[in-house]
Amino acid sequence: MTQSALAKTISAVRSAFRGYYFKPNMIETPDMIEQREFGYMQFAQVGMVRHLSFNSMKELTATIIKEAPADIYCSNAYYRFPTYPMQEKQWLGADLIFDIDGKDLHLPCVSSHSYFVCANCGRASASAPDEKKGYPCQLCSGKELDSVSIPCANCIDGSKKEVKHLIEFLTGDLGMKQGAIQVYFSGNNGFHVHISDGAYARLDPQARSDLVGYISGAGLMAESVGVRKRNAENLFLIKFPKSGLAYGWRARVADKLKIKSSSIIKLKHIVEQRGGYTPFKVDVDRMARDMGVRIDPQVTTDVHRVFRMPGTLNSKSGLVKMKCGDLDSFDPLVEACLLGDNKVSVRVKTSVKLKLKNKSFNISKESAELPAYAAVYLICKRLAEAN
Amino acid sequence: MDSSNLSSIRMGTGDLAKYPFLNEAGEYLRESGFGWEELERPDMKDVIDRAAERVEVEVSGNIYDKLDRYEIEILTFLVSLIMVKSIGMESVLRKFTLAEARRAEKFLTEDLKRQNEMQKRSLFAKIFDDLFKLKIEISEDGRLLKVKVPDYLARSSHFHEQEWKLINRLVHNGYVYLDVDETVRLVRNELSVLIYEKIRMMTLPTLPQAIKVKADDLRSKLAPRYEYRVTAVTEYPPCVKHALEVMGRGENLPHSARVMLATYMLAIRKPVDQIVMMYENAPDFNEKITRYQVEHLAGMKGSRTKYSVPSCDKLRNENLCFAIAECNGIINPIQFGRKRK
Repeated sequence: MTQSALAKTISAVRSAFRGYYFKPNMIETPDMIEQREFGYMQFAQVGMVRHLSFNSMKELTATIIKEAPADIYCSNAYYRFPTYPMQEKQWLGADLIFDIDGKDLHLPCVSSHSYFVCANCGRASASAPDEKKGYPCQLCSGKELDSVSIPCANCIDGSKKEVKHLIEFLTGDLGMKQGAIQVYFSGNNGFHVHISDGAYARLDPQARSDLVGYISGAGLMAESVGVRKRNAENLFLIKFPKSGLAYGWRARVADKLKIKSSSIIKLKHIVEQRGGYTPFKVDVDRMARDMGVRIDPQVTTDVHRVFRMPGTLNSKSGLVKMKCGDLDSFDPLVEACLLGDNKVSVRVKTSVKLKLKNKSFNISKESAELPAYAAVYLICKRLAEAN
Repeated sequence: MDSSNLSSIRMGTGDLAKYPFLNEAGEYLRESGFGWEELERPDMKDVIDRAAERVEVEVSGNIYDKLDRYEIEILTFLVSLIMVKSIGMESVLRKFTLAEARRAEKFLTEDLKRQNEMQKRSLFAKIFDDLFKLKIEISEDGRLLKVKVPDYLARSSHFHEQEWKLINRLVHNGYVYLDVDETVRLVRNELSVLIYEKIRMMTLPTLPQAIKVKADDLRSKLAPRYEYRVTAVTEYPPCVKHALEVMGRGENLPHSARVMLATYMLAIRKPVDQIVMMYENAPDFNEKITRYQVEHLAGMKGSRTKYSVPSCDKLRNENLCFAIAECNGIINPIQFGRKRK
C-alpha cells in the first residue's frame, strides 16, 4: 500500500470510529472506574499507551474522542495506584474473565471463508498458499502470510455453544448465580465472559490456573474415578473415592463409562478392556479434554491484563464488543455492527462475500462504494483499502 | 445456631491446651491473673523445662503432644514462644512454627472425627472461620465437609500434588467436598503463619533468668545444626567440587548437576552475580539465561519457589555423588563440613 493510500485508509476508519464514540452512552462504565488501569492502541502505531487512569466516564470519553483509538482496554484488575509502574500499583483484586475465541474451535467451515494476507505487502488472496513453492506471496515473495477469517453463522454458533458449555460449568459445578455472569460478543470472532463475584476477585494466577484446568478438563486423574495404580506396571485396583462419583467431572466421566460408585466389577472390566492402568489413564485424560470448554488459559490466569472494554470498537473488524441479552438470538453481525452507513469508496483486494446488518455483499469488482460499516469491516480485515 | 453464636461459646482448658494460639488462651491466662513475674517463681521450673523440651522436639521435626496437664501446657506454649524468639534463629523459628501447626492439625483432625455435630461446628467457627475466614460446612448427608470453591482454590493451588487440583475433587454447586484430614490440611500453612507472626510481633521484656538460661542453652545446642555458618564453609562437598571442575574444564555439565551447583551456592548465600560467573566456561553459556535460571532457583523469578539443594540420595540416583569419608552421616550436601564433631 502506498503512503497516501495508507493515510487515506487510516483516516477513513478513524473518522468512522470517532463518529461512533460521539454517540452518547455507548461505552459501559466499569465498576470502580478510578481503580482501573486503562490503555489504548493507536492506528498504525506499535505499542500500547497504558497505565492510564480516569476518575469518570466523562474524562475517559474526552480522551477517546480526542484520540479516536483503534482499540480501548480496561484492566480486569483494580489497583490502589493504577497509573504507577506494574510493581508499584498495589494490586487489590481482579475480575474473573474468560475468552472464547472462534479460531480455537478449529471448525471445518473456516477454510471456506478464510483469506491470506501478506504481512509484507498486504496482498490478499482467497486461495491457500502453496507451501511447496517456498515463496507464498506471489507479489513480493514475502514468506509470512496471515490468515484472515470472516466468521460465518456457523462459526458464531460454534462459539455460542462453547459459551453455553462454560455457563453450565459456572452455574452447575461452581454454583455461580446467572446474574453474576455477563456475556459479551468480543467484537470479532468470539465471546468474553465477565464474572462479578467478589469471592473470585482475590484469587492469584495459580488459583485461576487451577480453575482453568477444571473448566478445560486438564489433569483429571484415573484415581478420581476410582482406578488406582499398583506398584507393578499397568496393574491397578478399583477403589472409589470416599466422596463418590455423583457430581462434577467424576459424574461426567462415570456417565460416559456408564458406571456408578457401586460398579466395581464393571469398572474393572472396562480398565482391563482398555489394556490396564496406563491406557485407561490416557483415555480418561482425553475424555476430559474433549468434554472441557475451550477457553484461552492466558486470559483467565492473567491478573494484570488490560482487556477490551465493553462498548468499544474492535479494530480487527469495526464491530463493537457488546453485551449479549439473549445469547441464542444475538446476531453479532447485526447487533454489534453499529458504524454509520454513509458511502465510502474502497479498493477491494480480492473478491469477497459478507453479510452485515442483514445485507449481503458479494464484491467481485476492484472498486466499490460501500456503506461505512462494510467498508471499515473489510479494511479492518485487511481485504480492502480506501480509494 | 449461627456461627456468630458458636463463636462465643467458651472453650475448655483442654481445647485451649490443644489450640493455645487462640486469643482465648491469652484471655484465659490474663483472667487467671498470670503475669510475667510469675515466671520467676520456682514452681515454674516444670513449665520452663517442658517449654524447652517442646522447642527441642519440634525443631527436630517431631510433634510435642504432651497434654496431661492442660493449664501447664497453655503456659508451656507461651514460654516456648518466648524461647524461640529469644533464640533468634530464622530456621529454628520456621521449624518450630511448622511443627506447632502440625501439632494443632493432629488435634483438630482427632477432634473433628470424634466430636458431635455441635462441637464440630463450634471448632469450625473458632478456628477456621475466626482465624482464617474459612467457612466449613457439613455436607448434606453428614459424611463429609464442604468449602466454597474460591476458598478452596486460594489454599490448595499452592500444593503440588495432582490430587489437590480442583478437577480431582468432588465439586458441586459451588462447593468442594473434603474429608476431615483434607480440610485440616488445607489450613496447615495458615496455622504456621499465624504462630510465626505471633512470635515475630512479640517484644520481649527482660527475660526471667530461668528462661534466659534455658534459651541460651538451646541456642548453643541448636546453632551448629541449624545456623548456616557461611564463613565456616571453606571446603565444598565433593559433588560440588566435581561440578566446578567439570565447568572449569569447559565441559558440558548435565542439567541436574547445574541445578545442584546453583542451589548449593544459593544456600551458602553466594551472591547471584558470582554464581552466574561459575557457569562462564560452559559451552552453551548465555549470561542472561543463566542469570534468569539462578534467580528462578532462588525464588526471585517465575514461580517464586525457592529450590533447595537436592539430597545425597537424589544425587546418587543421578550419578552425581562422589562421596568421600567426610560425607558419612550427611543426607544433603549442604551439611558437608557442618556436622558436629
